[in-house]
Amino acid sequence: MYTHVLEERKNSIKTSDRDAAPIRCETASVSGAVSQRACVYCGARVVLNPITDAFHIVHGPIGCASYTWDIRGSLSSGSELYRNSFSTDLQEKDVVFGGAKKLTSAIDEVMNVYAPKLIFVYATCIAGVIGDDVEAVCREAERKYGSRVIPVKAPGFSGNKSTGYRMACDALMQLLLPHREQAAADGVNILGDYNLAGEMWIIKNYMKEIGVPVISTFTGDASYDRLLGAPSARLNVVQCAGSMIYLAERMEMEFGIPWIKASFFGIEDTTTAIRQIADLTGSPETRRKAEAFTRRESERATALTAPYHKSLAGKKAAIFVGGGFKAISLVRQFREMGMETVLVGTQTGKADEYEVLGKLVSPGTVILDDANPAELEKFMREKGADILVGGVKERPLAYKLGIAFCDHNHERKHALAGYEGVENFAREVNLSVNSPVWHYARG
Amino acid sequence: MSSGIVNLNTNPCKMCMPMGAVSAFYGVARCMCLLHGSQGCSTYIRRHMATHYNEPVDIASSSLTEEGTVFGGEKNLIKGLDNLIELYRPEVIGVAATCLAETIGEEVPAVIRRYHESRPECAVKIITVASAGYSGTQYEGWFRALHALVSQTAVAAARHDGLNVITGPISPADTRALKNLLRGLGLSFTLLPDISDNLDGGHAATYERLPSGGTPLAEIVRMAGARATLELASFPPEGYSPGRWLEEKHNVPLIRCHMPLGLRDTDAFLKALEKLGAVIPEELRQERARCLDAMIDAHKYNAMGRAAVYGEPDLVYGLVRLCCENGIIPVVAATGSDCPPLKAALEEEIRPAAENAHVERVSVLNFADFDDIGAAAEANGANLLIGSSDGRRLAHKYNIPLVRCAFPVHDHVGGQRIRTLGYSGALSLLDSFANALISRRESVYRAELFERHCKTSGLSASKSELSLQKKTVRHPCFSASACHTAARLHLPVAPDCNISCNYCVRAFDCPNESRPGATAKVLSPEEALARFMSVKAAMPNLAVVGIAGPGDALANFSAVAETLRLVREMDSEITFCLSTNGLLLPLYAAQLVSLSVSHVTVTINAVDPAIGALIYRHITYMGVKYEGEVGAAILMANQLAGLKLLLEAGVVCKVNIVLVKGVNDGHVEEVARRAGMLGASLANVMQMIPVRGSVFEDMPLISNAEHMALRKRCEIHIPQMYHCRQCRADAVGLLDEDRSCLLQTDEASSRGRDAARMETPVRVAVASRSGVVVDQHFGYADQFYIYESDGVSTRLVEMRRTPGGRGGCGRCGGDKAVVAPRPGRLAGALEAVADCKAVVAMRIGLSPARQLADKGIAVFSTYENIDKAVRAAAERLV
Repeated sequence: MYTHVLEERKNSIKTSDRDAAPIRCETASVSGAVSQRACVYCGARVVLNPITDAFHIVHGPIGCASYTWDIRGSLSSGSELYRNSFSTDLQEKDVVFGGAKKLTSAIDEVMNVYAPKLIFVYATCIAGVIGDDVEAVCREAERKYGSRVIPVKAPGFSGNKSTGYRMACDALMQLLLPHREQAAADGVNILGDYNLAGEMWIIKNYMKEIGVPVISTFTGDASYDRLLGAPSARLNVVQCAGSMIYLAERMEMEFGIPWIKASFFGIEDTTTAIRQIADLTGSPETRRKAEAFTRRESERATALTAPYHKSLAGKKAAIFVGGGFKAISLVRQFREMGMETVLVGTQTGKADEYEVLGKLVSPGTVILDDANPAELEKFMREKGADILVGGVKERPLAYKLGIAFCDHNHERKHALAGYEGVENFAREVNLSVNSPVWHYARG
Repeated sequence: MSSGIVNLNTNPCKMCMPMGAVSAFYGVARCMCLLHGSQGCSTYIRRHMATHYNEPVDIASSSLTEEGTVFGGEKNLIKGLDNLIELYRPEVIGVAATCLAETIGEEVPAVIRRYHESRPECAVKIITVASAGYSGTQYEGWFRALHALVSQTAVAAARHDGLNVITGPISPADTRALKNLLRGLGLSFTLLPDISDNLDGGHAATYERLPSGGTPLAEIVRMAGARATLELASFPPEGYSPGRWLEEKHNVPLIRCHMPLGLRDTDAFLKALEKLGAVIPEELRQERARCLDAMIDAHKYNAMGRAAVYGEPDLVYGLVRLCCENGIIPVVAATGSDCPPLKAALEEEIRPAAENAHVERVSVLNFADFDDIGAAAEANGANLLIGSSDGRRLAHKYNIPLVRCAFPVHDHVGGQRIRTLGYSGALSLLDSFANALISRRESVYRAELFERHCKTSGLSASKSELSLQKKTVRHPCFSASACHTAARLHLPVAPDCNISCNYCVRAFDCPNESRPGATAKVLSPEEALARFMSVKAAMPNLAVVGIAGPGDALANFSAVAETLRLVREMDSEITFCLSTNGLLLPLYAAQLVSLSVSHVTVTINAVDPAIGALIYRHITYMGVKYEGEVGAAILMANQLAGLKLLLEAGVVCKVNIVLVKGVNDGHVEEVARRAGMLGASLANVMQMIPVRGSVFEDMPLISNAEHMALRKRCEIHIPQMYHCRQCRADAVGLLDEDRSCLLQTDEASSRGRDAARMETPVRVAVASRSGVVVDQHFGYADQFYIYESDGVSTRLVEMRRTPGGRGGCGRCGGDKAVVAPRPGRLAGALEAVADCKAVVAMRIGLSPARQLADKGIAVFSTYENIDKAVRAAAERLV
């Protein structure tokens, strides 16, 4: 009856062992295909939002601000300002006569009432189209108030979520560049963790355990003052590769800070990450600590998750997440739990990441880039998936198909990173896969 | 607006037009939506709806890109329609134009016309709606979609005895209840829209991705022939009422009713139906009786209610009327839409109810955001929030219970099952209002009554406060009585300073000179620990370890932190004290607290940048040098903010003020006043010491009498320290007898922790981009992870770029990762691994493998975890 896969989408789907040609990815979404992707603004907001004491102003009509109000579980140890949603709420007349004046007045008011040290102004689709010179407004405000007012070029049509990440990283560089002349400090920056459910805190605790100081965090639980020290770090540790490699590269170019990628998902990845950081930054003492700590924690996490293995062994997982790096981590994490991945896809994965995925999964696994609900439906059914890992948009689809679900996105309220996350993940997968409700649903 | 800001919406109480349009289209059978605009709009709206309704919500996007934005989006739109039809086979498609499409001037109806001309076989009915986000909210979007549906499909037809029933935005469960009610009255009707199945579906053996419930297109076509239209909405936007259009174009009489929410409006709705021939069944009369009974039962609880009601116009109006008929006073009624007629109607409804209950303050807000609503709720004493789950932050902030009864509900389940309409809907709402009020009362009344009637003289100080008090009493600087008995040790571990004061020189030292900034020697943390241990052994009365320079303690934070950590390991009791210029206090305050620093002195010489600029030449903040008033302003702001943070964390703070005659002597009292206001416990007004070589070396000094008089004036604001000896950065002992120059002992460096060398580990080069798994071809590798391993343990030595490689790792965005290796690249890779014993790569060509083998380098292929792979390779080699 239905077409499940559009002709144009066929090259973005492959089966791990069968198709030799590389998957088609890193392209614009196919119109009308019900892509799961978001937009440039979304990417930029994701990256900058966790800066807790910044004033985030969305310059445009209300929708963009409305749908991103405090929807992410980034936690703060200080200011709660970032959990508000500020918008210039452009009206018809602003679109006709230009919105720059309203933006200027808004910033004036904000400075008078809140006097924040840092404002981000997100220029959305309409600001881009009606030609508001947001950069000029920001420049003028900086001159007038001495606070940082940084424009973020994020019209939705100007690319995809990755473009937004890049715009956010540019904004961060704009923040840091004046502070390049700092004495080198003994410590690292953590990039690409947004402190969802306190995950940045978990990573910082690990660094504390092995005696490696953390200077700045990008951007989980970040604040203006703490960010400014970043150029003095001796190493950048990049956790969410998709969003932050660009920043790491720019910081390497501008400040000479080398960087490594790290994944804190799963026992093996977490151990590797902690030990690599110790190797690159620490004394033999640090390395000894890292060795002992990772051994102890791996054993503990393994023991804690062991009981779940029996109930999960042989279950089949489908994965549809934002980036390739996370997908790779998840495939390996499922393998640690004795589960097989039968479908794996991402919104914005890169060619080389897809190649690794192709190697990691078992023969016959379906790999998709920028999949739509129809494709997920078809292949999850065909492959007999028991659980889908993805964002909330996919949750109802999984449930309708009688498939369990695990949130691996920004709204969750429990940590999935680090050794702590390993147990949480196993518990969550188990409680959904082995829930009694499926007995009735599958009749 | 509470914050006084008018040009900014702070926490929106509304969504955009396409949201409303899509929601309405979900009530049409076999209909799909396509948003003409950026990809993000459809994704955000899907997320918003899916988490409320807990149903799959598929909305297509024309995914406009830069090119489409500049040259027009027709191509994207047409392709989008083709793809959507192929994937879902819908009968109807609603095309909603977003901000972007509307602003770049897309002629959507013309595109659709051309679409049909070029595809005569296509039978899909395509409805277009202009729904720019800036032209209205989801409420207006809903009616625009319905208006478009009716006006683009209804055709003149023979009169039939059917009735049109059109609703505003209501929940799936309410829609279903309304449908059942109409059926029970024996009427023939068309309900538009009908989201009851599509947004609240059941679980079935098979899943149909095209929503098949909802109002069939054929029925919408026939609406023009109905005998009447009942429009259950009081505030549809001007020009977009579908009922009005049917009346004007097709002479279908329009009967407008309020949304049947609450007893009165349900009665009115049923009366209107009776006039149209409905027979009210006995069952419904009983339902009404039960509703009334419940209203009576709960009226005393409800009378406690002071509600803040917010949301879409019809809903707010209905809820306000429900509240008023039950004695709950809506002290705030607000909509995010711009709807002046609603404001008038609400005021008319609320005024008499408020008067009746002797409530004076009520606010009716149009075009409001949650900042407005929160401020009004607090000012007017609201104790109940009624609306969507977006109010949960207000609920938390003001500690007011929230009854969730409108879209969106994102933090609870059951958004699709919200019931508000008819007698049964009113009943379920009333129960939740009353129960929220009862629970709230129950949770606070004990404490409230205790506070009011049984106030005691305060609880005894906690244990930690006592010990803090004890520490203060034993601190020679904070307590005049301790200065003769308790000794302190200043550890000079902080050589650098980040501000330049005109009275200060740290360049030289005379051990006999006693003044701040002077030290014989700067110590490393290990040396400082050694000094602490020897002083502690020699002075049993040692009570305080302080860091007082010679530079600024916080400008050398890592050394200071390390020192304190080392000392604390050896002595859990000793008081930690620190003095600073305060520039970096906001950054480090929390860490000072966690290092158990209990006493801090901040030197604040001015709280006016103009005066500060005369004292400070420049400051260096986060790598940037600031001069003059700008520098002084940053310093001042950080000093005060830092002081506040410390005081909030319970640290005992002293403020030092260096008195410079003719510069800040007239301003000292103001500094003391600010310090006292913030809660500092002591101020120390110090005479400047004219140091040779400093800018102020020739400044006149004030007399002792003037100095004392000034201290007395400051004492009104904050207690004064009269016993300061302005001691050195390496002072030791009692304030009156510094013994630092006796201490030049052989403090041997305790550094020299040596690394235990591994026994001839082998070097392994790993081709990896992620650093987590082996994921690179040898020939394509931009970089190698160079490891050393003895087969048991592994150690990452460095990351090495491939000469001639691309440099850097995979960029996010545009670049293609897979490119053919450039000539010379392979040579580069071979060169990069020349000093290694093994290479680990995902894959390697035959020729390079042979070349490596010739050089005695072993090759391993894997895609394993990097650590495991290195160990395995080393094991094989050893």
